[in-house]
Amino acid sequence: MTRAIPADATECARILADAARDGRTVRIIGSGSKSYVGDAATTDIEVATSRLAGIIDHEPADLTVTVGAGTRIADVAVVLERAGQFLPLDPPHGDEATIGGVIAANSNGFWRARYGGVRDLLIGTRIALTDGTVARAGGRVVKNVAGYDLDKLIVGSFGTLGVIVEATLKVLPLPAASDGLVGRFARSQDAFAAADAIVRGASRVEACVVERSEGSAWRLAVQARGSTLTVSRAIEDARRAVAARQGDARELGEDLGRMRELPAHATDGALVRVSLPVAAAAAFTETAARLESVAALVADAASGVVRVHLLDDDDAVIRDAEALVAAARVVGGGGRIERRAEHLRSRLSTWPTRPTGDFLMRRIKDAFDPAGILEPGRAAFA
Amino acid sequence: MRGLVALLGTAKVLGAHEDLLLYEYDGAVDTATPDAVVLPDSTADVAALARFCHEHAVPIVPRGAGTGLSGGAIPVEGGVVVSFARMARILEIDVPNLRAVVQPGVINLHLSTAVAPHGLYFVPDPSSQKACTLGGNVAENSGGPHTLAYGVTTNHVTGIEIVLSDGTVVRLGGKAVETEGYDLVGAFVGSEGTLGLVTEITVKLTPLPEDKRTLMAAFPTMDEASETVSAIIAAGIVPSAMEMMDQLAIQAVEAAVHAGYPLDAGGILLLEVDGPRDGLDDDRARIEAICREHAASEVRVASSALERERLWAGRKGAFAAMGRLSPDYYVQDGVIPRTRLPDILRLVKDAGVRHRLRVANVFHAGDGNLHPLILFDSRLGPDELERAKAAGLEILTACVEAGGSITGEHGVGMEKNCYMPLQFQSSDLAAMRRVKDAFDPDGLMNPGKIFPTPSRCREFAFAATAR
Repeated sequence: MTRAIPADATECARILADAARDGRTVRIIGSGSKSYVGDAATTDIEVATSRLAGIIDHEPADLTVTVGAGTRIADVAVVLERAGQFLPLDPPHGDEATIGGVIAANSNGFWRARYGGVRDLLIGTRIALTDGTVARAGGRVVKNVAGYDLDKLIVGSFGTLGVIVEATLKVLPLPAASDGLVGRFARSQDAFAAADAIVRGASRVEACVVERSEGSAWRLAVQARGSTLTVSRAIEDARRAVAARQGDARELGEDLGRMRELPAHATDGALVRVSLPVAAAAAFTETAARLESVAALVADAASGVVRVHLLDDDDAVIRDAEALVAAARVVGGGGRIERRAEHLRSRLSTWPTRPTGDFLMRRIKDAFDPAGILEPGRAAFA
Repeated sequence: MRGLVALLGTAKVLGAHEDLLLYEYDGAVDTATPDAVVLPDSTADVAALARFCHEHAVPIVPRGAGTGLSGGAIPVEGGVVVSFARMARILEIDVPNLRAVVQPGVINLHLSTAVAPHGLYFVPDPSSQKACTLGGNVAENSGGPHTLAYGVTTNHVTGIEIVLSDGTVVRLGGKAVETEGYDLVGAFVGSEGTLGLVTEITVKLTPLPEDKRTLMAAFPTMDEASETVSAIIAAGIVPSAMEMMDQLAIQAVEAAVHAGYPLDAGGILLLEVDGPRDGLDDDRARIEAICREHAASEVRVASSALERERLWAGRKGAFAAMGRLSPDYYVQDGVIPRTRLPDILRLVKDAGVRHRLRVANVFHAGDGNLHPLILFDSRLGPDELERAKAAGLEILTACVEAGGSITGEHGVGMEKNCYMPLQFQSSDLAAMRRVKDAFDPDGLMNPGKIFPTPSRCREFAFAATAR
């Protein structure tokens, strides 16, 4: 495999055009933190975005930032913080993840219900395409309906349509105060009922996550950020919701970080990630928890995204992983095997089922990458 | 015509000249008469119609309430207009999942009214929300005054059922926040009827804020009002709405709506913060102080729901109020980075002066989304509209040069498709064209919209190349 490190968008597009002409396959790498995703094959070329890095534009009063795709979100955070702002994204692999990787993988954290996800915060991209051109989608202003919203196609496309070289995102003022709590419950339904009351309540929390890891206890982690007044109100409301369901409230420690980084640590067995109608998350989680292979379980009660880490003998892991994705479909959601042990790759496909509308996705893929060189096997219908 | 009637029955097909005339215009300035109008009452009707049109290579133009402001529902290349007036049912209100499933003809405000007893609402609230349909909102990716904090239509749609131009019915997304594969729902929203016909929509419902504070601040000039907008953001406050109006707009609104805006102000801001009650008075006090620091002559805080409604009635009724000033108006929808507001507003004024037309400004200052209303009188001859369009083009060019967009929420339609090259290079447009071809390979869906057409844009294509 040859490695290319383009210095700018034009060079990146030229590399892709050459590869397309020669029929050489390409994978795209930011920090490489999520290279486990998908059923990706080995490719002839690896295009790294490490030189497409840095803050390109940041006008604080416009609440937007434009950065090179290879910029680590942690580095963006440092720059924004100096201006009293933050990028409201808290994806897994927070220390290494690059903006380009977060967009390509649609990698979200627990803040989505409060601030929106990658698709909601991204307002513009520049993409190097396999025909050698660089296309701009969206723009640098927060509101823009001129033409198709190609940014939406790029989010979660796993590099199968082009290489993201630059992105513009919405940012927000840093909240003045932050606080949180952890509720411990004996029963999952109590944890979810408390979570539901908090999510639907008037005070707007930033994260509301249910976890079961070691032992049989259920934990509900709640975090609120905002003004001092709104935060204390939110935590007061959360404390009441926890107490009303026989929960025991304690101070929030590093819990959310641990829950968020489950994908980083789930190197063995299989990690199933499903996205459900939010009210279906409680029953799904309870059912999943009964599987013998469950090692850890994290449910974002505000957005309906549930991750289940399965550890057992191979046959049990494969059976349970596929059953969980199927169960997600039954309740109106969907999912994938987000990560699995290297030796399971041949036996456990990332997407046990095809998404609806896959024929349209295939047409779009063919239109952007007619030679089929970009990230073969990485995305759902490829 | 005969084929359509045989397919769908006389009750669903209009072909008489006087009926067709009702469908030749929308909220913008262009008109074209359809060859026929179809009023389907089910997805099956829509699919049958699409198959028929596909077989006969007839263009299909979807239409909601016809309140659009870019000619999106105008059959500029002829064909069949599909009115969704009879597909106007709320199919499901799913409170536990915070979703509603609706047909495209449901009126925006009716949805929020229907879910209010559950303490929920549908966030996007375009000024036409009493008339516009959710299908139209999906097509145009509609906004409204509250998008600054809560986003536009695309941020509130999680699923759609669409009929492609060959009659294929596809369901995309659902009630979950995301689905596997490309985000085709996201690609479809805002496609202005050019990718397919939406027949069912799953939208997010949001808990109503516990409380709100609404303020009206009057400033000597638009410059001070603009600077206040930036200062509020710089102070770390993101209001749910920050609307601005200039003196000409205030005069029209006061004559029509009596919202209580001060007639002598050079510009006013309408500001709203919402959320948990606890922080609101603090935010209000800080906003009030910032307004006063920027020479506000008056800051009025709505003390009751009634007063709030009245302040908002002025804003929401502003376009309609223009009738008090002028028989016609041409509204532009350019977006700029909000820090550029003062200089672009001066440029808007100059463009009006140059073309001897008055321009009123009523717009979403918080997101830099301008709405210059260029007043003209078509009774004085065709030259009036031409001058209005020329002034509009100058304004949009300035918006793009400032790093902005030619449209923030009204869409490109047939009104600005020739201007697309101002904002996008040919490689950008080629990428969009690929999406178009994937959904609608035969080009039957709402032709003549979004993309520059050689016949109508010759003059502009030349201008854009020369630039």
